[in-house]
Amino acid sequence: MFQNRTEALALALPAALFAALVFLLPVVILLSEGFHIDGSWTLSAYTGFFSQSLNRTVFLRTFKLGLEVTAVSAVIGYAAAFAIVNLPPKGKGRMIGLVTLPLMISPVARTYAWIVILGRTGIVNQAIQGLGLSDSPLRLLFTETAVFIGLLQLFLPLMILSLISALENMPKDAIPAARVLGANWFQVFWKVILPLTREGLVVGGTLVFTGSLTAYITPAVLGGSKVLMLETLLYQQVSVANDFVAASVIAFMLIVMSFAANILLKRLATARNKR
Amino acid sequence: MKHALIASAALLALTPVAASAQEKTLTISVYAFAQDDFKSIVYDPFEAKCGCKLVVETGNSVERLAKMEANKANPVIDMAVVSMADALSATRKGLIDKIDTAKLTNFGKLYDLAKDPNGDGMSVGYTFYATSIAYRSDKMKIESWADLLKPEYVGHVAFPNVTTNQGPPALYMLGLALGSDNPDLKAPIAAVGEKKDDIVTFYEKSSQLVQLMQQEEIWAAPIGRFSWAGFTKLDVPVSWATPKEGQTGGMNVMVMTKGSKNQDLALQFMDFWLSTEIQTKLAEKLVDSPANKEVKVSDEAANNLTYGEDTVKNLKLIPSAAALDNRAGWLKDWNDTVGQ
Repeated sequence: MFQNRTEALALALPAALFAALVFLLPVVILLSEGFHIDGSWTLSAYTGFFSQSLNRTVFLRTFKLGLEVTAVSAVIGYAAAFAIVNLPPKGKGRMIGLVTLPLMISPVARTYAWIVILGRTGIVNQAIQGLGLSDSPLRLLFTETAVFIGLLQLFLPLMILSLISALENMPKDAIPAARVLGANWFQVFWKVILPLTREGLVVGGTLVFTGSLTAYITPAVLGGSKVLMLETLLYQQVSVANDFVAASVIAFMLIVMSFAANILLKRLATARNKR
Repeated sequence: MKHALIASAALLALTPVAASAQEKTLTISVYAFAQDDFKSIVYDPFEAKCGCKLVVETGNSVERLAKMEANKANPVIDMAVVSMADALSATRKGLIDKIDTAKLTNFGKLYDLAKDPNGDGMSVGYTFYATSIAYRSDKMKIESWADLLKPEYVGHVAFPNVTTNQGPPALYMLGLALGSDNPDLKAPIAAVGEKKDDIVTFYEKSSQLVQLMQQEEIWAAPIGRFSWAGFTKLDVPVSWATPKEGQTGGMNVMVMTKGSKNQDLALQFMDFWLSTEIQTKLAEKLVDSPANKEVKVSDEAANNLTYGEDTVKNLKLIPSAAALDNRAGWLKDWNDTVGQ
C-alpha cells in the first residue's frame, strides 16, 4: 500500500508516541515502584507481600476462580457455539444477538441484578425451598460461589463469540469426514474440532481469564470483603492504606498472570497441533 | 514521506494549552459527594460574592491527601475538607497551616466540639454525623452494640468493613460494650472474627445496605446518620438504635494548605460555608448536618440529620491521634482475623 516502510512508520508515529507517553511510560513507572524502594532495587516488596497469609489466600483464590471460570465457560461455550453455528442464518443471527445483548448492559447493573436473584428471598432460594431441597434460605450472596456465577455470566459471551467465529472458519466437511471414518463424538471433538478451533479457544480463554482476574465490580459487590480478590485488595491498598508499593506489586502480578495465561494457552494449542 | 512527517508533527503540536485565568482563583479539595447541591448552595453564590473563580477538586480523602503531599513544595489547592483524623495526619506531615479563627465571623456560632477538633488550631469542623445501628424493629431489639453478635441476630447483620469510615467507630462501640475501651480495637476485632462466617457481609458502601434490608438479606447494620434517609422509605419497619453505650460518629473539618497564596480568600470561603444561612440550606437538603448551632431546621430534616446540642455533645468520637496511631494495626488485625 505504501511506497516505502518509512512513510508507513511516520504515519504510525503519532499514535505510537501517544501510546508510549500516556500508557507505556506510566505503566513502567508504576511497576518500577514495586522494585525500587528507598533508592535501591530490591524484591523485598514481593517477599513481604507473600509473607502475609491474607495476601497468599487472595492470590490463590483469584487464580483459582480465574481458572474455574475459564474452564467452565469453555465447556458451556463449545456447546453453545456448536449449537449456534449449526442454525440456519436467520436463527444464527438472532442467537448471536442474544449472546451479545448482555455485553451491552453495564456490568454494574448486571452484578446488582445478581444480588436480587441470589438473595434470601430471590428466585434461586425460592426454587430451592419450593423443591424441598432446603427448609431455610441458603446463603448464596457474599460467597465464592456468587463471585463465580457473576464472573461466568459476565465473560461467557466473550468465549461463545470467539468459539463461534472459530467454528465458522472450520472446513464444513471435517466433522462428517471424521464420522465417516469411524470416529465417535468424543474423538471428533478431541482430534478434529479442538485442534481446528484452538485459535478461538486461546482468544476466548485469554479474554475470560484476564477478565476474571481484573474484574472489580463483580467481586466487590457479590463477594465483598469476605471474598477478597486481587483487584479488590488492590483497591483497598490504594484507597484505604495508601500503600502504592503493595498496589504496584498486585498490578505487576495481574499483568504477569494475564501474559502467562495467554502464552500458556497458545503453547497448549500448538503442542496439540504438532502431534 | 515529508508530508507524513509534517502531518505528525502538526498533530503533536496540537496539545491543548490552558488559557491562563485573569481573575483570582481559589482551589478547593472536597469529597466527591452531593456536588450538585454544593454547587448551587455554596460554590456559585460564593463566586458571585467574591468575584473570584472556584476550582473544585474531588476524591476520597486518602487520594486527596496523597495529592497534597505530592505537591507540598508547590501547593495546588488552597483549602481542603477532610476527616478529623486526616487533618491530624496532614498536620503531622506539615501540609497545613493554623487557621486564623479571628477572621472567621461565624466561628463563635459553632458547637464547641467543632471549634478545634484536634486541639491544635489547625482545623475547624463544618459537619458531623452520628453512627448507630439501623435495625428491623419487628425482628429484633437492639439495646447494646453487643446485641449485634447475639447468636439469634448475627446471621442477619452487615458490619462495616474496617476500611470504611463507619468501621472503626462501630468496632470502638462494640469494644465498649464488651468492656474494652482500648483504641487498638483488638477485643472487638477478635469478637467479630469469631462470628465472621455468620455475619452476612462486611460492607464497604453503605448505599448497598438499603437494598439488602429491602430483600431481607439483613436485619441490622451500623450506619452513619447521613445514609439513614434511604431506610425510612422502605416498606419494612426500620429503627435507629440508641444503645446504652451511646452513639459514635465522625466529624469532617476544613483545613488550610501550608504555603497557599490565597489564604485570605480561603478564610472568606470557610466563613461563608460556616454561616448560618449556608449551613441551614445544606441541612435542609440533607447534605451535611450543621456544625453551626444557630441553624434551625424543619422536624423532617432534623430526623435525617445529626442535629441538636444534646446529640452532638453525646457523640463518642475516637480521638484523632488514637485513630491515626492505630490505623495500620486495625487493618492488619482485621485482615488477619476477619479478612480471610
